[in-house]
Amino acid sequence: MTWLNLHPLTFLVFAPTVLGFALMALPHKLGKLARLLGFLGALAIFVLSLAWLLGHSPAAGGTVLAERAPWFTLVGLPVDYALAVDGLNLWLVLLTTFLVPLTMLGTWNSLKDRMGTFAALFLLLETGMLGALVAQDLFVFYLFWEAMLIPMYFMIGVWGGDERRYAANKFFLYTLSGSLLWLVALLYLANKAGGFNPALMAQAASALPFGVQGWLFIAFAVAFAIKVPLFPLHTWLPDAHVQAPTAGSVILAGVLLKLGGYGFIRFAIPMFPQAAMHYAKPIALLSVIAIVYGALVAMVQRDIKKLVAYSSVSHMGFVMLGLASMTVIGTQGAMLQMLNHGISTGALFLLVGMLYDRAHTRMIADFGGVAVKMPIFTTFFMIVTLSSIGLPLTNGFVGEFWILNGTFLSGFSWGRLYAVLATSGVLLGAVYMLWMFMRVFWGPENKDEDSGTHHLHSDLNAREIAVMLPLVVLIVWMGVHPKTFVAASETPVAALLQEIKAPAPRTFVLKPAVHEAPAAPAESGAHLPEAPAAHEVH
Amino acid sequence: MSLTPSQWAALLPLLLPSFGACLIVLMSLDKDQATAKWIRGAMYGTALLAVAGSFWYLTELWKTGAQPSFFQLRMDRLAQFTGVFLMVATALTILQSWDHFHQEGWVKGETLALLLFAVVGMQLFASTTHFVTLFLGLELFSLPLYALVGTVRARPESAEGGMKYFLTGAVASSCFLMGGVLIYGMSGTFDLAAAATSLKGHGLVLDPLVLVGAALMLLGFLFKVSAVPFHQWTPDAYEASPHPIAGFMSVATKGVAFIALLRVFAGSFAPLGAVGVKMQSVVAVLAIATLVLGNLTALVQSNVKRMLAYSSISHAGYLLLGFVAGTPAAYTGVLFYLVIYLAMNMGAFGLLTAFGLVGDQTTFEDLRGLGWKRPAMGFSAAVFMLSLAGIPPLGGFYGKYMIFRELVGTGHVGMAILGVLASLVSAYYYLRLLVALFLQAPSAEAERLASDRPAVHAPLAGATVLVCAVIVLAGGFLQSGLADGFAKRALIEGLGLIR
Repeated sequence: MTWLNLHPLTFLVFAPTVLGFALMALPHKLGKLARLLGFLGALAIFVLSLAWLLGHSPAAGGTVLAERAPWFTLVGLPVDYALAVDGLNLWLVLLTTFLVPLTMLGTWNSLKDRMGTFAALFLLLETGMLGALVAQDLFVFYLFWEAMLIPMYFMIGVWGGDERRYAANKFFLYTLSGSLLWLVALLYLANKAGGFNPALMAQAASALPFGVQGWLFIAFAVAFAIKVPLFPLHTWLPDAHVQAPTAGSVILAGVLLKLGGYGFIRFAIPMFPQAAMHYAKPIALLSVIAIVYGALVAMVQRDIKKLVAYSSVSHMGFVMLGLASMTVIGTQGAMLQMLNHGISTGALFLLVGMLYDRAHTRMIADFGGVAVKMPIFTTFFMIVTLSSIGLPLTNGFVGEFWILNGTFLSGFSWGRLYAVLATSGVLLGAVYMLWMFMRVFWGPENKDEDSGTHHLHSDLNAREIAVMLPLVVLIVWMGVHPKTFVAASETPVAALLQEIKAPAPRTFVLKPAVHEAPAAPAESGAHLPEAPAAHEVH
Repeated sequence: MSLTPSQWAALLPLLLPSFGACLIVLMSLDKDQATAKWIRGAMYGTALLAVAGSFWYLTELWKTGAQPSFFQLRMDRLAQFTGVFLMVATALTILQSWDHFHQEGWVKGETLALLLFAVVGMQLFASTTHFVTLFLGLELFSLPLYALVGTVRARPESAEGGMKYFLTGAVASSCFLMGGVLIYGMSGTFDLAAAATSLKGHGLVLDPLVLVGAALMLLGFLFKVSAVPFHQWTPDAYEASPHPIAGFMSVATKGVAFIALLRVFAGSFAPLGAVGVKMQSVVAVLAIATLVLGNLTALVQSNVKRMLAYSSISHAGYLLLGFVAGTPAAYTGVLFYLVIYLAMNMGAFGLLTAFGLVGDQTTFEDLRGLGWKRPAMGFSAAVFMLSLAGIPPLGGFYGKYMIFRELVGTGHVGMAILGVLASLVSAYYYLRLLVALFLQAPSAEAERLASDRPAVHAPLAGATVLVCAVIVLAGGFLQSGLADGFAKRALIEGLGLIR
């Protein structure tokens, strides 16, 4: 137990991998057993993460758990094996450990073959996501970031739809292109800083001429923006989402996209504060375009899944807008919106998957009158739809409201216009979601022999209800009492923004963590100085 | 003439394979070699024993830290490193060729003898700075390889590839010889280190003849590493050769040529600073050309072996980037890269044998769906391809990482960007192999043909593939141990490069 006490994060991150490889080694015939073991393992990890992450009261600076040890030094650059859960990533980590078993359960019968391999890849993916979320060393972050691609590639490519090979390759190469250029920037900066410690790198970056800082920020931002995805780097997303199997879509929307936004708040913005301020406006503009454009394109989709995919572009545009507003309330809104989107869109993809498993079509035109045949399903779909369009008392409302508020107060010369335009995105969101809902669920029952509605024979079973219930609970909880989910990130976000906006002298020189630093406080202190939280609003 | 123990020690790693080769030639005189399995077994056993003995001896030398020499043959750390590298590659090749030649129905002892002679030549080539010895080594490994490419005489295209390789190789060798002659003519010594010092002493560093001489020698090396524009032989030769031999050439020839290049240009020619600089810009241009051409041509290949040939060309480009950076750390990266590259490429070519593909049925079509039928092989294939593409956390990533980091560190940011873009392109064609293995079902026609054929039985090749996969994975997690413990020590203690 002592090892476990010292390395809880290592266990959380790598237990899925160990289990995954074990499942891969099981013979094909035992696919069903592997699926069960994979689910139980993921569930155990979720329970453990809940117990460990919410059970520990955070140390000063918000760090819940941390591990740090020198890992290796190659070509003169030391790499630290540094992991930590703090206010910025706490809920994203929990979202990940929550969504993985839930998705496994939700897509229990979706796959017909190679279930064991799929479960194994899913667990490997969990390692990649968790590792990237908790990494506090940029090299470690890069490793996990890239390693995530491999299982996702196979999940899309092997179990996907008809165009799966194209979609998988596009996903892989698109993401790789951003991260490879980012790697060069990373090497450049590591070379100046003498290592991959974010604090040291930030220090080195601040000594560089502003032009160089700008380029480095762009390299970071492009890599993260592809993942988000920010317009115009979003084109891989619809293909990947539509072709991916349901489980892949859920995790892609639920967690992978979040890593892009998380990369901004964790690395890109704190490391290049000046450049981030400088480029905040173009990023805000692109976010507004993403919001409106994503919504407009979603409106004309005929495939429900594609509609949800484009709605992701729109929703993630809100996240980026909130981050670009550089206000506490906007950034907090973005943090919440990331969780919201993970829950709501994850739930939508699950629901679409449940529909598809029954009807074998996802075309809106093939449905009609589903409400008559599947009342429970319709109820859940309605709740999730309302959450997605941001109805008050659901989670979507709070996040979007805060983001719009932050944008309005951002002090950009066009900030208010951006807020107004983005608000139209909320409106358009209601249009495309409700219009789709109307055509699929209401109206007369589609009696056509070939129609999707005709093939719907059963409503949700107990397993599917068990999957949807926690999601609905969260939707309401987050809408009514969002503080639970944003309290942790409040201090770090406020401190970060205060440091960025503070005029000279720049105090944002982060203390490098000493290798032998005994415990968490020093580590967390390194990352976000404990300035008194200056709340602007809220 | 009696030899001292130290001289024997330097010679032994070469003597063992030579004796093995001679024994195998004698055994293959037996007319029954094609029919009697025990003779074939004995031949393969002898070859493996010779290689294993040499490997064991080299590791013992490495452990003691002794660096014996036999006149111009220096069995220093770098040579020991090369020797271990070669012996591993050879052992893998021998194991794979047992399966492959049985599949082809063309088992000849002479093949093994030629292979072992080539190994001796390679070891010699990488262990000396004396020009005549160097040339001797070059020819000693080139001639057997020409023959090995065309070894399966039953296939006409095999002889064609061998002939092409021979003709171009002969031209490159004579250029190399001419280069050495010019250096000798200007300096009066065949010892390249002494020659460099003497040229510097006489102020002849920038003499046109010296430059031409150095350039011609460089050409000889670049031909062997198959850098653009001296790469045209590569795809034809690989396609023609038996799979294990193609793997061996892609790994061993390139490896020793890079190590010899390191020894001569970074080591002996170090006093010729100016020539070094000029050569470096040539190397930079050629590295870019190699990366661009190698990767773009690999995109459109339909034959896996040709794809791997162009991929091996493009990897020469990455390794040359290490020479552009030209720091000790970059050379460490080059050596590390070579080790991982050994495992990736021997593994990739070994897969073809393990899947039982013979002759020219090595298109992507022939691989469809095989990854699911042979999960262990499929998993290894994924490891090799992703590592070749440089995806972390596999060994190939760290090789590229070290080289790119030194490029950035020495101010070649543009070349580093070009390098990563090249790996992006390469990811596409490596994924193609995985697409074929996992993402495509075999065509009905192929299924029918497969059911007619006997089940593939290639346990040795399969084992080598797994060993290679383990090495690639280990390279990803023991990166600093490998780089510091072996590559760096070989450079510092063998070549005297000081960090």
